Amino acid sequence: MEPLKMKEKLKLTEAWFKLILFVFFGLFFILAIPYPEKSKQFPQLIAVFSLIMITISLIIDFTRKGRVAEEIAAVDDAELKVLDAAIQKTKRKRFYKAWAIILISTATGFSGGFLFTTFFLLMGFALFFGERKNLFKNTVVAVAMTIVIFFIFQWVFEIPLLKSFIW
Amino acid sequence: MNTFDMVIQAIYSILQWQNLAALMAGMIYGIIIGVLPGLGPSAGMALALPLVLKWPPATALIFMGSLYKCSNYGGSITAILVNAPGDASNAATILDGYPMCEKGKGGVALALSSTAAMVGGTIGMICLIFSAPFLAHFALRFGPAEYFLTALLALSIIAAVVQGATLKGLIAAGLGLMLSTVGFDVITGHLRYTFGWEPIEDGIPLIQALVGLFAITQALMLAESAESISRIGKLAGGFWEGVITYFKYPYAIIRAAVIGLFIGVLPAVGQSSAGLLAWAEAKRESKHPETFGNGDPEGVISSETSTNACMPGDLVCTIALGIPGSIGAAIFLGVMIIFGVVPGPLVFREKANIIYSLFVALVLTSFLMFFIGMTIAKHFAAITLLRNEVIVPIILVVSLLGSFAIRNLMADVIISLAFGILGYIMLKGGFTPVPLLLGLVLGEMVEYNYHRALMISGGSYSIFYSSVISKILIFLTLLSLAGPYLGPVWKKLTQGEK
Repeated sequence: MEPLKMKEKLKLTEAWFKLILFVFFGLFFILAIPYPEKSKQFPQLIAVFSLIMITISLIIDFTRKGRVAEEIAAVDDAELKVLDAAIQKTKRKRFYKAWAIILISTATGFSGGFLFTTFFLLMGFALFFGERKNLFKNTVVAVAMTIVIFFIFQWVFEIPLLKSFIW
Repeated sequence: MNTFDMVIQAIYSILQWQNLAALMAGMIYGIIIGVLPGLGPSAGMALALPLVLKWPPATALIFMGSLYKCSNYGGSITAILVNAPGDASNAATILDGYPMCEKGKGGVALALSSTAAMVGGTIGMICLIFSAPFLAHFALRFGPAEYFLTALLALSIIAAVVQGATLKGLIAAGLGLMLSTVGFDVITGHLRYTFGWEPIEDGIPLIQALVGLFAITQALMLAESAESISRIGKLAGGFWEGVITYFKYPYAIIRAAVIGLFIGVLPAVGQSSAGLLAWAEAKRESKHPETFGNGDPEGVISSETSTNACMPGDLVCTIALGIPGSIGAAIFLGVMIIFGVVPGPLVFREKANIIYSLFVALVLTSFLMFFIGMTIAKHFAAITLLRNEVIVPIILVVSLLGSFAIRNLMADVIISLAFGILGYIMLKGGFTPVPLLLGLVLGEMVEYNYHRALMISGGSYSIFYSSVISKILIFLTLLSLAGPYLGPVWKKLTQGEK
């Protein structure tokens, strides 16, 4: 039964996304009701069209589900499944770490401006994703890249960079 | 003076040192601007405007023209190497350009792009020089109903072909169209779906959304693994391999150039549609469509040739009619007016020396871009060998700074991040963000022309199928939607006969 679970999980991501979109389009349709006639016509048309497409797509997904399950149940890929689960777990961990670094760095932008944000982002990835033996090299890259980006944006193109009360 | 004499005179004008220097400076500036995600041709020209205000008109327009052209080329470099298009016009290039990099063929893909810039740009410019008034006249035959249907055709082709599953493609395109309705309504001025948030009152900013959908999404995908973009860890193939490969597809080149020119002369349809349509057509006519999206050189050839051929077509309407075909062309139009070159049919007589100098400069730029590509391809391709812990934060920093720099708003960074999450979920859910992007790009034009057509007809929907052009467009739209389903049926029937 293991392979079934894996495949179904993958299917679920798609199905869930479609359900979220269904709610999204439905909500946009309802929100448009008080708008003037000409303002609501187009978004409601798009919403109705998309809702129909999603419904058809979901019906196809669920009617096909049984057939796919039958087909994959016959395949013995238990070993592959264990390997896949381990890879997925590592990927998910890295994804959450990346998001944590992005969010913290963006938040530091409000207080530390461009310099802090950029340095935190580059160093964050160097620390949490790089190998320990490459730490010095990655730190040098982080500092150099911060300077290069600052130089290109601020001096060459005179583009105002993010500023805050510290910098 | 006939066209040929004016071209000869323009060549002499270009060879003056200040014009040549302006051309080179515009090229370098354009490539750097293009390479930075978020800063496309429009931002590049806006930033450079104060610099050229005191220059002679011809020199300034040569600078701006080469900047405009090269920023598109610069955008394709990042689209190929890190899956982060510099501008919406480079969105089609990522479909096969980036998978080529994953196979270590980044240098080959860059060579295809450089050659396409030279060939597509030259074909487009030569057609423009000799047929500008005729093409402008053809564009005038398109009314609001035809524009509406052209946009629908573009969306249906992309939805059906790019995604590989028509329904999913249509849903993604619907999402893009729906998001394009956020902000002020173009007809009534009524605010829609902003929930009181000011930064989206003028609509969801396109470049910020583009940065999120492609650059941020790609950075997140890369962050999941500890390798590098090139999965084989080395570069395979060189620049000349790409050049030779390019000329192995003459039919694809001609088809893409024709699509690019056609889309270019239609105001507001734009280069992003041209590249995607050419890619979709190449895939549809290919004997091995399954290789498209997995690093097929023909995909890069089609999208890049079409985009480069589209730009001159784009300029036709801008120069001959004063109707810009894209945001970049709109800024170019503004620059022309600042320098006293007022667009219109008479401009080809009254300011012939400036206009033809610009045309010749753009042809020269196309050739020079090839040599620049030849010089930098190898060095740029090395980016794909950098480990993900180095390249991911660089993509993030440059992309988010590009987003921020457009309006100096932190809200734009948040918008990019939100679109990054959306793009990531879409990819994980088996959707491609490309139809969404095209929906977002064309949404305003679709809605505006839909209402305009109905206003002209007094509310009658017959306007959408009354002209011959409309009927052809409707037929092509239905064919593109039914094609993926009819194809296998047709195959079965013909095989059954055998």
